[in-house]
Amino acid sequence: MIRVLGLCVGLLLGSGLGLAEKAVDATFYGYVDSDVCARVMLGPVTDSRIKCSTDTAKKGSPPVVVRGADNAVFSVKNKKTVKKMVGDFAKISGATKVKSGSIKISSAESVELSAIPADAAEVNLMDVRNYRTSGDRVYEQVRHTLAMMPYISYFDFISFALVGDEVILTGWTVRITNRQEAYRRVKQIEGVSHVTNNIDVLPMGSMDMQIRAQAGARLGRMLSQYFWGNGSDIKIIVKNGDIILLGTVTRQGDSDIANIQCNTVPGAFHVFNLLRVVPPQKKG
Amino acid sequence: MRKRKGEVMSRMWNYSRPTVPWRLLAATLTILLTAACSQQPASESSGSSAAASVKVVPAGQDTSGFLQDYSKLEPHPTIEGAETYENPDPLNDLNDYIAMIVDPVEVYVASDGDPASISDEGLEAVTGYFQYAITSAVADAFPIVDEPNPLALRLRSALVGVDTGEGAAAGETSEETGEALTRSINVSEVIVEFELVDSESGEVIAAAVDTAKLGSGAEVGTTHFSRMERFEEAKLAFDEWASRLREFLDAEHEIEGAPEEERTRESYQPYGPS
Repeated sequence: MIRVLGLCVGLLLGSGLGLAEKAVDATFYGYVDSDVCARVMLGPVTDSRIKCSTDTAKKGSPPVVVRGADNAVFSVKNKKTVKKMVGDFAKISGATKVKSGSIKISSAESVELSAIPADAAEVNLMDVRNYRTSGDRVYEQVRHTLAMMPYISYFDFISFALVGDEVILTGWTVRITNRQEAYRRVKQIEGVSHVTNNIDVLPMGSMDMQIRAQAGARLGRMLSQYFWGNGSDIKIIVKNGDIILLGTVTRQGDSDIANIQCNTVPGAFHVFNLLRVVPPQKKG
Repeated sequence: MRKRKGEVMSRMWNYSRPTVPWRLLAATLTILLTAACSQQPASESSGSSAAASVKVVPAGQDTSGFLQDYSKLEPHPTIEGAETYENPDPLNDLNDYIAMIVDPVEVYVASDGDPASISDEGLEAVTGYFQYAITSAVADAFPIVDEPNPLALRLRSALVGVDTGEGAAAGETSEETGEALTRSINVSEVIVEFELVDSESGEVIAAAVDTAKLGSGAEVGTTHFSRMERFEEAKLAFDEWASRLREFLDAEHEIEGAPEEERTRESYQPYGPS
């Protein structure tokens, strides 16, 4: 009997371990962010990003660690270790799993930006001057490539940053193919040397599916001008009961309507309204 | 008088010692193992013969009757041999769905065929493998769910024109297993029909009839070695039909037309430094 059970346990653990990624111990400088902002506010740590991090963390978005050297986002297994450090730079040590984007922290301490060695790769990524933005040829090509992906729905949001000739992809998607396809397409663009893929594949549990359906139906009805054929100006991200609203609307009133409608969706825990209000003449 | 915690635990242990904890543990492990195993090869086993049924194409008719409506099918512009339909109503747009439920595959034999001549093993092999193939082909674009939802499609599929293949002589047995050989299933003349319906309302969102004869020379349903090669050919045919279904779905999701391209491009405003 015990042997049989031992075999069962062995099989169970073996099958799990066979698929599991091996953890690698690492120490690095990074930024302690909220999960929501880490996947939206890519790039240098500015005042607006710190505000986004602390505001969304207060509303319940779990803390994550963003590795300074490459902007890789790690979800934290022992969240208490960094919960009070959201919005700070930190020196982090722990067991990392790069592929699955997770870390088990063994130690974490807040540091000042000035404490990070000037020649470290982390400094490069934190300096806003190193980012290429709108108007740059490669930037526009990446933007166009991601915009034209066929399976992007209003339940997906994919963003990116371009630092030198390196692209950092981020965001959320309900489809694995979008994560793979974004990486494949961007990697092929001339002038891109390296791609970091932080796109998070969302869980498809029945509760999240119900929330998606309800939120989508409400916003589609109340704010139909922002939804069309293959695209939308508003993105509705649902992750473990939380709703994250992204994209642009033309009036503050529309942003408020979206917020109110999503707040009344049964089963939704929090609504993070990150919609930007862009008057029509300034859009594009 | 209050009993000490250790004393109570000790009595409980003595009372139930012979089997209960082990049974509980074994049952838990069994459930966990079953759950783990059932997730492994997608749905390779989910289309088993228990759920599959064999129907007969009605005599004197051109169609099997599997699809709700054949009249709106039109030749696909890029997939040769396929006739397709997509619901033109914007409220029933294929692009609005993000997940899929895959139903067990149905099998139709020709109107002069005998459904009883199809062996259970052959039927299980055909439907099980085809369901596995189509699930594998679509799952990264339409995550598989098991509950109806306004955002989930239900994929219905049928193999039409299945025939019984070479008969085994009476008393002929497999060289490897010694089991009696049954008649194999011939998929040479098979066409494939798909229907995508709203998983809640049942409204048809898209449909396709694939008349490409991909299963030429392929047979399924016996352990005889020479027929195993034909089973490999059948698997290739099933994979190809599944891949053509994916091609159809990909084509329907392409962003088309200058206004839509422009609006999509304009709407794509990444956050971060600008």
